Amino acid sequence: MRNFILRRLIYAIPTLIGVSIITFAIVRLSPGDPIRLFVFGQRDITGEDIERLREAYGLNKPIPMQYIDWLIAAVQLNFGQSFIYHQDAFQLLLSRVGNTLQLAVAALALQLVIGVPLGVIAALKRGSWADGLIRVFGVAGHAVPSFWLGLVLIIIFAVQLRWLPSVGILTVGKDAWDIADRFKHILLPAFVLSLTGIANYSRILRTETLDVLGQDFVRTAHAKGLHERTVVFVHALRNALIPVVTALGGILAGLVGGALVIEQVFSWPGVGQFTFQAAIAKDYPIIQAATMLVSVLLIVSYLLRDIAYAIVDPRIKAS
Amino acid sequence: MTAKQRTGRVLIAVFAATVLVATACAPGGPTASPGPTGTAAASAKPDQGGRIIEGSTTDIASMQPALSNDTSSSRIINLIYDNIIQQDPKNGEPKPKMATFSASSDGLTYTFEMNAKANWSDGKPVIGEDFFTSVKIAGKSKKTVRKSNYQDIEGFKDYSDGKATTISGIKVDAANPKKWTVKMTKVSCPAILDLNTMAPLPTQVFGKYVTEASKDEIDTAPENTSPTVFSGAFKFKEWRKGDQVILSKNETYWQGTPNVDEFVYKVVANSTAVTNGLKTGELTFGSLAAKDLADVQTVDSVKITKYQALGYTFIGWNTLSPTATGLADKRVRQALAYGIDMDAVIKAVVFGEATKNVAHHVAVQWSFPKSPLEQYKYDKAKAETLLKDAGWVKGSDGILAKDGKKFSLTISTNSGNQERETLAQVAADQYKQLGIDAKARPEAFQGLVTKLTTGDQTLEATIIGWNLGGDVDPYSIWHSANVPNPATKVEGFGFTGFKDPAMDKAIEQGRNPTDGNCSTAARQANYETFNKILNEHQPYNFGYSNNVLAVSQKSLQNFNPASYSTIYNIHEWWIKK
Repeated sequence: MRNFILRRLIYAIPTLIGVSIITFAIVRLSPGDPIRLFVFGQRDITGEDIERLREAYGLNKPIPMQYIDWLIAAVQLNFGQSFIYHQDAFQLLLSRVGNTLQLAVAALALQLVIGVPLGVIAALKRGSWADGLIRVFGVAGHAVPSFWLGLVLIIIFAVQLRWLPSVGILTVGKDAWDIADRFKHILLPAFVLSLTGIANYSRILRTETLDVLGQDFVRTAHAKGLHERTVVFVHALRNALIPVVTALGGILAGLVGGALVIEQVFSWPGVGQFTFQAAIAKDYPIIQAATMLVSVLLIVSYLLRDIAYAIVDPRIKAS
Repeated sequence: MTAKQRTGRVLIAVFAATVLVATACAPGGPTASPGPTGTAAASAKPDQGGRIIEGSTTDIASMQPALSNDTSSSRIINLIYDNIIQQDPKNGEPKPKMATFSASSDGLTYTFEMNAKANWSDGKPVIGEDFFTSVKIAGKSKKTVRKSNYQDIEGFKDYSDGKATTISGIKVDAANPKKWTVKMTKVSCPAILDLNTMAPLPTQVFGKYVTEASKDEIDTAPENTSPTVFSGAFKFKEWRKGDQVILSKNETYWQGTPNVDEFVYKVVANSTAVTNGLKTGELTFGSLAAKDLADVQTVDSVKITKYQALGYTFIGWNTLSPTATGLADKRVRQALAYGIDMDAVIKAVVFGEATKNVAHHVAVQWSFPKSPLEQYKYDKAKAETLLKDAGWVKGSDGILAKDGKKFSLTISTNSGNQERETLAQVAADQYKQLGIDAKARPEAFQGLVTKLTTGDQTLEATIIGWNLGGDVDPYSIWHSANVPNPATKVEGFGFTGFKDPAMDKAIEQGRNPTDGNCSTAARQANYETFNKILNEHQPYNFGYSNNVLAVSQKSLQNFNPASYSTIYNIHEWWIKK
């Protein structure tokens, strides 16, 4: 297992370099220039000023040279200074990672807590009205655009009913550790973010549970006179959960990516919203650091999936 | 609440409970209901305490005046550092704030004296040296965009280039440290506001970044993001990045302690979130998008204040375009002004919340022309006559053509800006009725800016906007020296390519008068000429100037925003309990 993890980590290096080259090229070669954007409308700005700024931000060198400079610094976790904030890009991102992870983990928990039971119920009550309702919910969960649902929920729960706040992560003036207040803020965004996952898991679980329930070992368990609950939860569910673990691969990175839209709708100060704004302002260091961060998350997330996969299903060897 | 409203709420509640069974929580949530719906009562004794929460769609970038270049950062900087001069909130004329000022008879030397009461939050007086420190910071910083504001100070360039250890043109009075003089290399009418670009900064904090040995350390100074000493109405407390900036009142503020305890700058994702926050009472004040006005007008707990924005949205014609050649002809551009029903456009695009504009300066600026200008009232017949006079006649397909070339016109604007995209579409539709093959093309703002400033000739017409804060000098936009030229690599904002010697002269005389007369009356005369030329030649369709729709909770008192400033009297604001 140790060799397996080590090998996977070594493989990750060329992947990350590839991602960094592609991002660097796309960002630098797309139309627009951060300096011209920065000084647009500024009175009496001169060509000399623009050249000085270009030099100060390291944009006067050829792009391949800029990349090499960036790579050398990035290895030391120095992603440069944000063009807009004049602060360390990586630190700025890290200050928002906690908020995004909070949202992603809450959404993940909701996905599992709601999605898994729904799938099992649908399978056990196959053909019933409950099964039908859950399947309709599964389709709706995929079909409803999250930004739209988010806005509708804000109008209902925040603007009309005033049960929940409409924006942000914490009420102004509340202590950063006010858990109850944070809970109220996270409910709507986490629910909207988790919706696709709930739909996914309920669908997968339904199919897998039905499949497993028809297999020989389940019939044997029944024949042995085991209690129905033991058969379902101990024998069937453990096997049915294997594809769920597979689906978990990349889920964290997926949630971080999906959070971009949700963070915009709910004014959630996370990585997605921050990166989106950086892309608009052509803040290269932030865009580059964010891409690397999400890539690392993705790689780690897939690695964890494979390890979990090996643990859940002893037939799979880590090779 | 009426029975109808109550029934509506019950229905919504039932629907909501169905939608969100999994996450429903008990009622009695966190959102404070709006405060009492009091009316403005400037004469009443102000209640003390409370918190003002302003909603904004962008976070601040820095609290260092030399590095900030955005309205959010400026808001916070203006609250924590007072300027020496303030512009009249209604017409922009410069007036003393923390310092008085006067100009010498030759217009080259300015004398300032700081108010005796002006002090820092650490108890030290604000002095001339603090002004000097902020100018030195602009000189030392490599990432600032403020150097151009100080370029006419004697010795500034040498200091900025590292050839001098001090700025020879700034002298602080040895006998009276509150008094200082600034000598300019030439008469420059915008100088008084240019010198006010950055507020004085505490030498006791920033002095270490402007020593002879210091280089550009100021660009990464921790005090830029976490300032410690203040001269403004509020003191910095905390910056929760991407979420909020929290300020607390400056008890020793020289104009009097503010009535409220805290000012919070709350960042939300978009204008819809601002609207929602104002409706729920989570925000104390903020600006509204015109599309949300009707909705907010039904809310009892808020007050709406309208005033004209300091800027305008326009359609710029590329008079040098090799493809839309018609734009080179004044008559065609005039036809494009008569041929668009701007009043109808304003209704369609910004729900009537704007004023039509026919020249560069807008009505709230003191330089706005007093003599009547051609208003270009919608007149399709006149537009058609002008086009005909210019040689453009309709072909069998209904499209105008001249010398066998059809009149096609692409109107570009920045994508994602819903207002401008709609304007481009509406304008294209109206020009089609004149027989012009017009179409709208949204493209990314980043790319558009590069094309405009480098003189990319693929642009035929562009919808964009100018913010006209600061001095009224239009040199950077309209003087021929700022017409970009890809061949000579000259960049600038004169992307219409329009040049006029008489207009150049008027701009020069309004900026650097040969007689040294920078009075508003003298400058006004030059800007009359300038605006008249633009009004006649129409290098832009000058479009419209939006209304700012400032919304505040009725509990907020003394909130009287105007075009030049929202917060000029913030120490007098109070919240009725």
